[in-house]
Amino acid sequence: MFSATRALRQAAVHAERTPLIKFIGPRTIPANIDHTPKPHPASPTGSLPEDFTLYGSGSASSKHTSFSSYRDHAQQHGPLQKTIRLDGGIGGASGSSLGPVSAPHGTAFDVSELPARFRRAALSAAEIEAIESGGAALVG
Amino acid sequence: MLSSRLISRAARPAFQKSTLPVVVSAPALSRWSRGYSSASEEKDLVIIGGGVAGYVAAIKAGQEGMKVTCIEKRGTLGGTCLNVGCIPSKSLLNNSHLYHQILHDTKKRGIEVGEVKLNLANFMKAKDDAVSGLTKGVEFLLKKNGVEYIKGTGTFVDEHEIKIALNDGGETSVRGKNILIATGSEATPFPGLEIDEKRVITSTGAIALEEIPKTMTVIGGGIIGLEMASVWSRLGTKVTVVEFLGQIGGPGMDTEIAKATQKLLKKQGMDFKLNTKVVSGDKSGELVTLAVDAAKGGKPETIESDVVLVAIGRRPYTGGLGIENIGMELDDRGRVIIDSEYRTKIPHIRCVGDVTFGPMLAHKAEEEAVAVVEYIKKGYGHVNYGVIPSVMYTFPEVAWVGQTEQDLKKENIPYRIGTFPFSANSRAKTNLDTDGMVKMIADPETDRLLGVHIIGPNAGEMIAEGALALEYGASTEDIARTCHAHPTLAEAFKEAAMATHSKAIHF
Repeated sequence: MFSATRALRQAAVHAERTPLIKFIGPRTIPANIDHTPKPHPASPTGSLPEDFTLYGSGSASSKHTSFSSYRDHAQQHGPLQKTIRLDGGIGGASGSSLGPVSAPHGTAFDVSELPARFRRAALSAAEIEAIESGGAALVG
Repeated sequence: MLSSRLISRAARPAFQKSTLPVVVSAPALSRWSRGYSSASEEKDLVIIGGGVAGYVAAIKAGQEGMKVTCIEKRGTLGGTCLNVGCIPSKSLLNNSHLYHQILHDTKKRGIEVGEVKLNLANFMKAKDDAVSGLTKGVEFLLKKNGVEYIKGTGTFVDEHEIKIALNDGGETSVRGKNILIATGSEATPFPGLEIDEKRVITSTGAIALEEIPKTMTVIGGGIIGLEMASVWSRLGTKVTVVEFLGQIGGPGMDTEIAKATQKLLKKQGMDFKLNTKVVSGDKSGELVTLAVDAAKGGKPETIESDVVLVAIGRRPYTGGLGIENIGMELDDRGRVIIDSEYRTKIPHIRCVGDVTFGPMLAHKAEEEAVAVVEYIKKGYGHVNYGVIPSVMYTFPEVAWVGQTEQDLKKENIPYRIGTFPFSANSRAKTNLDTDGMVKMIADPETDRLLGVHIIGPNAGEMIAEGALALEYGASTEDIARTCHAHPTLAEAFKEAAMATHSKAIHF
């Protein structure tokens, strides 16, 4: 099978000692690998923390004593913690803590600062031309 | 056509300022902003840290066909090792050794040298050239393997998104299916002694001193301390090494080898204070003063020196990473807790290198980097933590792999020892570098190799043979019956193996 080493193996047949080193062929990946978390070989404690394997499993909720505590740690398109900074995106803070959505008295938003979907549909060049020419551009 | 509309808008009469409503500023609107999942393309792997662990993982992942982003805040790749660690220190060690040899070791070789002068600026430039050449080389390799390289500080926003404060200003973010933490380590500061990298220095300052100090005290007689002590001692500094433990070289070095090393370094002019504890330091005066105490109740003493090098070890670095944002905890020494497949408790976030378990060595980080990518891609990786060599690049070099004699003694494991001195090796004799020996430790029953410890010329290269033998589970007889070229220093390795299972020929 390993022709390159045939001569060596033939020589070994006649040798009076067998080396401890044996050629076992190219490395193959075992068909079944157990991927359950095991302590890292260089871990000083030789063990994993208790909550290490809870992530993503149904039992993740079991470490929480209340729904509020669970929600503090839960993730849904990002963390749901109450303590997260304001710039943490949607879910970063409760709606009520953000204050009323309507603008205070005497304050207005400039249309240009709103997301595109709240703005007027942009005019096409042909439409502008049509308006400015009083419709003549459509005919001409 | 469009411009005519713009002009007509601009020409409109302006409102009176007092009648204008207050306009909400853009930042206030940010509370309505949301991160769209399509905002940035999701990468297969986002690596935080472009040090040896990070960049090797990036290259490997690129080779495996993954879409990879590597984030590094230093501005150059290679991390501590390439920028301020292994590589620059090897340049200084090699060139200071040449200088020292020209000054002190030429006459007996029949070479007469005229006036020898050291140009410290050029000495440092040679180091900087080596560093910049290598870091640029790594950057090229990332490009070659299709890795996106972002210069900036990465912070976890959530379990899949990293926000990056760019070095050039501004901010961006990346999302990753898998994330690899490879943020490395930093020098552990000495409590009560502020590091200024001029008079109180870490290894970073020790590779960039602008003048040769008259005196230097090194706190910590481990590998980093002794390498830097060697550089400056060779250039003319009077160096004193203060070590808390009873031996130099750190706990991993074989005691017999450590004693031999200390003797040789002492002969080169270094002073050692072992079993000595540094109690406090004061840098208010012209000289830096250290108050030291014998570790086991002795007379207090003060040591004064121009420069104090703090080399008491390194600690994991997770600053600015925002691990609190993803609920990840560190262990009592600040390391990221991982399992045997480098997964943190959030399985798609993995971690390798100095910032997690194991010895803080660049080659260990490299092995882990390759293994972790293989775990992600193929579900199978390999790092043998029992066979990670250590090298101290003093002169002579010291290198070891596997178990030490004191470890085996402590665990009551039977062993057999074989040694061979370089003074009996023909190549060492012709090189006039005969200090040192090779020591091998094997199982008395099976003859399987358990550890190799070398002090001597080229020990750092020779230890590779020991690591290979250990990895393959060789017996010392296997090594002894393998033909080694003559005359080479490696013959000492073979002879030590012969001495372990039987008898050496030349000693």
